[in-house]
Amino acid sequence: MEIGPILRALARNKLGVMLIALQIAFTMTVMVNAVFIIIERSKAMARPSGLDEPNTFYLSSTGFGDQFNPEVTERDDLELLRNTPGIIDVAPTNAIPVSGSGSSDGLRLDDDPTLPAIPAAVYYSDEHAVNTMDLKLIAGENFSSNDVLYQRPSDRRGYTKAVVSLALAEVLFPEEGQSAVGRTFYNDSYPVQISGIVETLQTPWPTSSFTEQAMIVPLHFISATSTYLIRTEPGERDRLMVETEEVLATNNPNRIIRGLKSMDETREESYRLDSAMATILFTVIATLVFITSMGIVGLAVFGINRRRKQIGTRRALGATQVEILRHFMIENFFISGVGVSLGAVFTIGFSIMLSSLFESPTMDWYYTPVGMAILIVIGQVAVLGPSARAAQIQPAIATRSI
Amino acid sequence: MFYYYLRLSALSYRRNPILSSLMVFAIAIGVGAYMVIFTLNYVMGGNPIPQKSAELFHVQIDSGNPNTQDDPPPQLTYLDARALIEANSAFRETPTSKMSGILEPEGDDVRPFSIVGRGSSADFFPMFNVPFLYGTPWDGSADRNLQQVVVITKELNERLYGGNDSTGKTLRLHGYSFQITGVLDDWSPVPKFYDVNNNAFEGSEEVFIPWNLITSLEFPRNGNTSCWKAPEPGPDGFLNSECVWVQYWVELRDSDEEADYLQFLNNYAAQQKEFGRLPREMNNGLFDVEEWLLKQEVLPNETKILSALAAMLLAVCLLNTIGLLLSKFLGKSGEIGVRQALGAHKGSLFLQHVIEAGFIGLLGGLLGLVVAAAGLEGIKILLGEDLMRTDWIQLNPTVVAVTLLLAVFATIAAGFYPIWRACNINPAIHLKTQ
Amino acid sequence: MLDMKNIRKVFRTDLVETCALDDFSLTVDQGEFVTITGPSGCGKTTFLNIAGLLETHTSGQYLLDGVDVSELRDYARAKLRNQKIGFIFQSFNLMPDLNLFDNIDVPLRYRGMKSRERKERVDKALDSVGLFARRKHVPAQLSGGQQQRVAIARALVGDPLFLLADEPTGNLDSHTAMGVMALLEEINDSGTTIIMVTHDQSLAEQSKRNIHILDGRISTESTRRSEEAATVA
Repeated sequence: MEIGPILRALARNKLGVMLIALQIAFTMTVMVNAVFIIIERSKAMARPSGLDEPNTFYLSSTGFGDQFNPEVTERDDLELLRNTPGIIDVAPTNAIPVSGSGSSDGLRLDDDPTLPAIPAAVYYSDEHAVNTMDLKLIAGENFSSNDVLYQRPSDRRGYTKAVVSLALAEVLFPEEGQSAVGRTFYNDSYPVQISGIVETLQTPWPTSSFTEQAMIVPLHFISATSTYLIRTEPGERDRLMVETEEVLATNNPNRIIRGLKSMDETREESYRLDSAMATILFTVIATLVFITSMGIVGLAVFGINRRRKQIGTRRALGATQVEILRHFMIENFFISGVGVSLGAVFTIGFSIMLSSLFESPTMDWYYTPVGMAILIVIGQVAVLGPSARAAQIQPAIATRSI
Repeated sequence: MFYYYLRLSALSYRRNPILSSLMVFAIAIGVGAYMVIFTLNYVMGGNPIPQKSAELFHVQIDSGNPNTQDDPPPQLTYLDARALIEANSAFRETPTSKMSGILEPEGDDVRPFSIVGRGSSADFFPMFNVPFLYGTPWDGSADRNLQQVVVITKELNERLYGGNDSTGKTLRLHGYSFQITGVLDDWSPVPKFYDVNNNAFEGSEEVFIPWNLITSLEFPRNGNTSCWKAPEPGPDGFLNSECVWVQYWVELRDSDEEADYLQFLNNYAAQQKEFGRLPREMNNGLFDVEEWLLKQEVLPNETKILSALAAMLLAVCLLNTIGLLLSKFLGKSGEIGVRQALGAHKGSLFLQHVIEAGFIGLLGGLLGLVVAAAGLEGIKILLGEDLMRTDWIQLNPTVVAVTLLLAVFATIAAGFYPIWRACNINPAIHLKTQ
Repeated sequence: MLDMKNIRKVFRTDLVETCALDDFSLTVDQGEFVTITGPSGCGKTTFLNIAGLLETHTSGQYLLDGVDVSELRDYARAKLRNQKIGFIFQSFNLMPDLNLFDNIDVPLRYRGMKSRERKERVDKALDSVGLFARRKHVPAQLSGGQQQRVAIARALVGDPLFLLADEPTGNLDSHTAMGVMALLEEINDSGTTIIMVTHDQSLAEQSKRNIHILDGRISTESTRRSEEAATVA
């Protein structure tokens, strides 16, 4: 195999080599980093919130005027909804997972403001929350209706129990995790005991650093606005969304119903930027691969045309068609080799820069070598056509004197 | 000679249509894609009020948790906001916060509906150059006297009053009667610099009322509230707490006024410290619009990442162009030799081919505008219109100019080496004499 | 008009040709018609390139119209070529995608001439070779002989000091070749100096003055008036 002469010839044509190699290097950098970002975002988008999303929706009721009685309204609404055929359960709440808006507190292991605070989302609800959210209780127990307090927003929070997500339990009590039932933590200066632990419950903020740390507390605020989270039997959601809104809007003239939305829609909206980003990245990758392939084909054709007489001469001297084909494939392999080596450096550098600037996770080690292999294959496929045509060049060209 | 060279460029294109079109195509894609990201960065990271952004400052008072090291809160407490507005030390100033409420339209045919509004002082409107379609902002005395006055947006005016002049009419909001003093014209700055706490790219609120009414009439708050210490229980607990939920902007006309106001803030903070508040080390500040947007990191990381990737895409397209230009110009060595024999010096030949490169660049730029427009439309569709304002996602005159200039100059730059190679040859060799 | 003394040209690059001119001296006066002959390639080509300011000489002196060209940089050489020399190439070297008018127009463009004067001159040049009617045609639509006439018109359009022809009839059949030679004679009769490189012996014998180059030097110089051949050592 004529590796030596091929390499020496390439070394004499550094510009041509670098033109292709740099294109390959940049394409690889963009491709590998973009694929990594896409995969990371897809993983994030696929994380479960803990809820039975396809069958869950929510709406809010806001009262107005002097005739409006928030407590009575809510009590009646909940009774009506819970007894509606097709609705499995309803929970009043202040916030909805994944929705982007809600409430969070900093928890501590003791009543000592100098201790570090562990952030957690708080869902103010009643004993129906666990069932409505279809959460899996893996330790301890849910609250009973006696535990639920009714307060005004200006009252001091009086709850003493909480149902927490496993992730939150593990952050609060790392050694115990699941068996942290009965342990006490502090919210501001008052103690709260973990009465139950659920396997998964996300916060309302899917991209926050503490997105798996959430808790439900048996406290209910009396205010003009109430939000109801509703879980339905499979297949009943769409019908019930329309019906409940109508029923509630018409049975009480002193309030309006707004913000009717399904969990599916909520998830789609909250992750829309991520999915837009993934689409954009995918387009950029495809475009780059296309352009680089065209570039490789173009320069290969140019180089081969320039050397037509040479190729004919080789054939006249006894080279077979396969050997001509192989010659150009090897040449391209080395050029791609330079390209992916450069590309590896750029890729890793760029990835480190991204993860340090934006505090995002670093790329796994295997992304780079896979990227290198893919680009070498792309290069070889691109140059296959021109090389095959080069192999067709007639030996007779050698003697023609043009 | 310029038009002569331009004609030669067109002829040269015709002679190698495939090669030349490939070049135009590659440039169009690289420049077009880059300009899509450029537009996003330009608007999202841009200055929404350049005429006076250097005179508008967001106030920072560090009322944060003494036990942690996090950044000073980006908003003020109610106590601090009240104290500042009552001191009235700036040329113009406004506390401002989002609120929501139920609007009961006149008549029984339209059901009440919920709106998101904003509380501010009368100064808000002249400070931020907010344009009025009808009427005027309320008078400063209305802020002090807790007058129930309101300014509504053009869209709300269309919805309620068919777009007619509704100044003087009464609006029922949150159970109270408000008198409309003015209707805004189209106004929705991008980014929404005056309140970046929720979504810096959402549309504007629908009604504006005097800020003091938020608390006096107990409107539900609708922005971001953050408390490092739980409020004391009781009715005034929240208002006296360290919870921050107020944005505070001042207008200071020159550096003297700026220095004076900062001094005032520091004096105020020192005084509060004596009362036992503001436990952290003194860290008050004034940030003008651009500084504030930068500090609050309003430009999303995604656009920064995409900038880098788009730059690499452009680089690949230009490398491609260099290769194609090499092929093209090296193939013209015969013609170049003849022209030299006929008296063209290297400068003329260089100029001729720079113009040819520029010509191709211009064609690439024009096609690139099409690519950019399509890309921007695509992004608009991907983002959807419900989450944020997207009407600014389109080509604007600056972007068009930059696209064309970028395409022309990038292609000329890419062509430098190929042109130099082609023009520096020994004419004798390529004339094939004997 | 053209005065070369002891010209030496050495090639130091890795070109295939390694031939050179060595102690080459030649004077050509206004109005002469000189043919240069010699074995294939080598000295003839080098002489042509140096005379035409397409290459620089290593040592010796070349005065063109009294100007010493060795001092000149590319800009000045280009200007001289444009104003004083008219090239005629063996393979015509017309620009394939310009029409006849535009082809002849090229050297005048480099002179910065205004468009009215250019048009006058080009039309006159086309007329003088009898191709005015076809001025909008492209070279591909012309026969070899016609193309060479256009090339000659292009060479003459700027009123050069002399024409430098490189094997002008080499790509033409004998009949057309005669026509072109006749045209060149006519041009010379009207006062234009012509230096023609050829390896066609018959043409050389017919010319008024013939220089024979061998191994980079003049080996024979013969003028038609005198029957003797003087050998220069």
